[in-house]
Amino acid sequence: MRPYLAVIRDSFHAALASRVLWGAFVAIWLLLAALFPFGVREDLTTDFRGQDFDNGTRMKAMLARGLADPTQKDSGAGRIAAAMPDEVRRQLELVGNGDEVRIRYKQLTDALNGLLDDESWYDEEAWNNINRLKELRELDELADDEIDESSRRRRARLRIEAALPGVFEARASRSIFLTYAGMEFPAELAVDKLQFDRVINQYVLPFIIDWLLGFIFVFLGILVTASVIPDMLQPGSLHLLLSKPVSRTLLLLSKFLGGCAFVLLCVIQLVVGLYLVAGLRLDIWNPRLLWCIPVSVFLFSVFYSVSALAGLRWRSPILAIGVTTIFGTICLVVGVIGGLFDGFVKRPDEIRGLTVAGQHVFAATEGGGLIRYDEDENRWDEIFDSSATNSDRVLTPIALSDSAVGTAQVRGGRFNPFGSGPLDLLVLSESNEWEPEPSLRLPTATSSLFRIGDSVMSMNTGELALASVQSALEAAGEVEGDSESSETKVEEDDGGWLSKLQNMMGGATDGFTSVLPEQMAMSPPRDVQVDPEGQWIVAISRGRLLRLERPEDSSSTAWNLTADRVLDGEASRRSVIAVSGDVLLVARSEEPLLLIDSKSLEPIGESLSLSDSLVPESASAIGDQGKFALITSDGRCRLIESSDGTNEMIGTIGPREVEAVFYHRSANELYIAHHIDQLDVLNVDGLSLSRTIRPKLVSWRLVDKYGISPLRMVIPQTGELGETTAAMVSGKSAVAFNNPSGEEELIRYNIFRPVISCALFIFVMMSIGCVYFATRDF
Amino acid sequence: MTISATADEAAAIVDVRGLKKRYSGSLWGRKQVNALRGVSLSAAAGEVFGLLGPNGAGKTTLIKILLGVVRPSDGAASLFGEPVGSTAARRRVGYLPESLRVDRHHTARSALKYYGRLSGMSPNDITRRSDELLDLVGLKGRDKESVKRFSKGMYQRLGLAQALMHNPDLLVLDEPTDGLDPVGRNEVRRVIERLRDDGKTIFLNSHILQEVEMICTRVAILSKGEICGSGNIDEMSSGATTNRVTIEVAAPETAFNGQRAENKFMEWIGLSDSSELDITVLAGQSRSHRLDVTLDSQEKIDGAVDRLRQAGVSIARLEPQRETLEDTFMKLVSASEESA
Repeated sequence: MRPYLAVIRDSFHAALASRVLWGAFVAIWLLLAALFPFGVREDLTTDFRGQDFDNGTRMKAMLARGLADPTQKDSGAGRIAAAMPDEVRRQLELVGNGDEVRIRYKQLTDALNGLLDDESWYDEEAWNNINRLKELRELDELADDEIDESSRRRRARLRIEAALPGVFEARASRSIFLTYAGMEFPAELAVDKLQFDRVINQYVLPFIIDWLLGFIFVFLGILVTASVIPDMLQPGSLHLLLSKPVSRTLLLLSKFLGGCAFVLLCVIQLVVGLYLVAGLRLDIWNPRLLWCIPVSVFLFSVFYSVSALAGLRWRSPILAIGVTTIFGTICLVVGVIGGLFDGFVKRPDEIRGLTVAGQHVFAATEGGGLIRYDEDENRWDEIFDSSATNSDRVLTPIALSDSAVGTAQVRGGRFNPFGSGPLDLLVLSESNEWEPEPSLRLPTATSSLFRIGDSVMSMNTGELALASVQSALEAAGEVEGDSESSETKVEEDDGGWLSKLQNMMGGATDGFTSVLPEQMAMSPPRDVQVDPEGQWIVAISRGRLLRLERPEDSSSTAWNLTADRVLDGEASRRSVIAVSGDVLLVARSEEPLLLIDSKSLEPIGESLSLSDSLVPESASAIGDQGKFALITSDGRCRLIESSDGTNEMIGTIGPREVEAVFYHRSANELYIAHHIDQLDVLNVDGLSLSRTIRPKLVSWRLVDKYGISPLRMVIPQTGELGETTAAMVSGKSAVAFNNPSGEEELIRYNIFRPVISCALFIFVMMSIGCVYFATRDF
Repeated sequence: MTISATADEAAAIVDVRGLKKRYSGSLWGRKQVNALRGVSLSAAAGEVFGLLGPNGAGKTTLIKILLGVVRPSDGAASLFGEPVGSTAARRRVGYLPESLRVDRHHTARSALKYYGRLSGMSPNDITRRSDELLDLVGLKGRDKESVKRFSKGMYQRLGLAQALMHNPDLLVLDEPTDGLDPVGRNEVRRVIERLRDDGKTIFLNSHILQEVEMICTRVAILSKGEICGSGNIDEMSSGATTNRVTIEVAAPETAFNGQRAENKFMEWIGLSDSSELDITVLAGQSRSHRLDVTLDSQEKIDGAVDRLRQAGVSIARLEPQRETLEDTFMKLVSASEESA
């Protein structure tokens, strides 16, 4: 290998002798010097910000009720509302009077932040009845003279959060404040450490890497290295090289690798520099950042393989640059077209939730659509259209009977994450040809529906509320019955200001009754699992596990809290749960998988490790024997089993790119949605494939399958390598962001496809180049 | 002219038999070219073999085939008994291309290091050989200088050094003095002579006949893709006397009697055809002339000498002319072109 290493080493020497390289080095050093003064200051999370609100409407209603309802006057919410500035208080009073008043978040945050400095609103007795987090309890135990200013403000914030449950997003206890050269930014950029690390690792660093390495250095590198192969082909150079005892193929490959030296030297400077700046100044020591070095060189080598082949064929650096530029343009155009097809054709059709009612399969799609599988036509019938521009969203339907399902369509509004207008439970039945019929009024901001025993349960930002299936069907006119009670209730509710506030707070409406005990609210991140028989609910709310059981006393609507467990670790991490028999699976980001007794909430056996790069998307029980299907952000469905105190992750089931799973209890089948809108149905006993659903493609989907997708395989997806970079830097296989509806949404990184497509392309180009070089007379 | 075709085949280092090379034409109008039309030759160990030929004769194509850069269309060629182009054959060959191109970031020493590595040498051998060769080619002391500042002669000497780095058994030199000034040529020639004296086998491609004549032991003349003659250098430049005589004379002004010098010389020598006489006035001596005369018998020479002397012309030198390599070359090439 010595001769070939000599060629590669010589390329490095040549690169280091290049003035362009030193120019690039200087530019990199200037950039790093400009970034170096960035710094961070960590402090306790105290001040409120607009993005801290999970449900501003609920807060408005709670504070208004605190002012308007005499029974709430001495409650935490009442005392906080009373201490608000006059203008805000006046607006809250208008809200309490039933007026439509829009209070800007800025006003509310300013008002709340004002309360942090003056705690005259605090009353120990009032807060004694409020659920307090461990951190608040510890701070409350400190005497005033033992607490510093920052901790005091933190305590005040926690008291406000405790008094207004279901209102705020989960935030880490400590925050990061950005500084530049020791000066804090004029605009408040405070984010918590977790968010800060995520922003830096998932957005900022990949952005810098993508633009500088993926674009500027690639272009610069092509300009500089385009002459390497043509220079080698000069007679005085080539004949001498070919007279040496070296293989032509390996000589060309060595020259190719050596040509990457320029970019490698630049990339090393930049990436190591960024790594040190992020570590020294921002305390983010992320060794994964160093993966950007090979990825960036890999990206460059895609373009360089074109340049090398063109240089080999025409022996002209100018032509090599020209051909590479044309190729880059083609990549860009195909990438943009592919992105448009992803966003406008494929993504809207992706299944996000499934249900089976009798023989009928329903799915909610990412594009806000509701579809039903028509077996005769082998296609999905659209009940609500899926569209990329659709800001509406459809809740995953639930089976109300073998021939009816319930769902809701949340009308999107630009400024209203919880939808605009009333939100009704929609009942679709076979007898009505699956036309949606409005039924009961759902609690405000309902985000999920569950079928629990003979009831329908809604979950919104803070509440769980139940209504009977019977009443839902009656209200939709599906069955006739004694609907007097619900109608009476509607009239009664419609008349009172309290009812309206209750609605705004997301409380139970119409035939719904609240399930949660007094002073308890579901806080994000949250997930719920219910007993099909309707006897219990298990939930996770901001890192806290809860088990609620139906009260034996039918006069009480609130269910009994029978078990409660605070999980170790960061409470704000994304969490999903599933219950199979007596076993509860808890899957949280960057935490081991926990198997827990669903009754006592005590751990069962050893926890199971799950790679930090995998984010749990959703989980489903498979039967009642402690088996689970967990969908992770790599698109795989992992099978987990807990038996006799032994937990095991058995492997993966189903195909890749799994989007949703649904366990059909009565048929004992597992439905796996994958590859946009395909379904595999597994028989749970033995997990054998019992049938598949491959619906017919129409219009643009056909164009995508037979036109765009093959084109994207042939043309390397260099743009998508940015996702590979982001995945490597962040250590995650998906990125989480809040969609316009305020829900956290995971977008999976396409990690391997661009790598495979680019690697294949390089292989093909270099194979052609090697054959040409090895067989041609020079 | 009778020419011995090959060297002792048993000791042949370069062995070429019926070699043909045809460059195919293209759709864009490029015509098919038969660069070699059945070339056979051989060079033995220790020989300095000169390959001569006019431009376009196929010399470079033949060398490219020997180096494995170009594949023959037909025939066979081997170096050291190994097929040309094989790694084993190339391992024993050092090559100086016609216009060596060394990347500008190199110094003489780093270039030798690079080419030494390409030849698979160990670091220790590279260091030792670099010192020896830099000394041999006269680049010691300038070995850390960028090649950007090298003259053409220094480049060629560096090229020779790199060709010798791995101590090859065969040295292929393609126009090693092309483009050099006389001083540069002399420098390169002296190095080659030292190598010859050290017993290296050298395959020299050149169109500078005097150079070949001075250095080579055997030559082959290539024309129109065919060998039109080959043999020992003595055979090719036989030294046989011709019917031409060179006479250097000093004639007083009065000897011409106001007539043209050419007419007077023709009269004294006894010539009737002016084409049989070439007159050169020797530099700095207006009365001295060199006369190249066709005189096909001793009687005619004696008569000419007598008449010159009678006319008061001093004879400084009289020498019969002998056949040179150039004469042989021109004769063979002309014959080849005529037959083509």
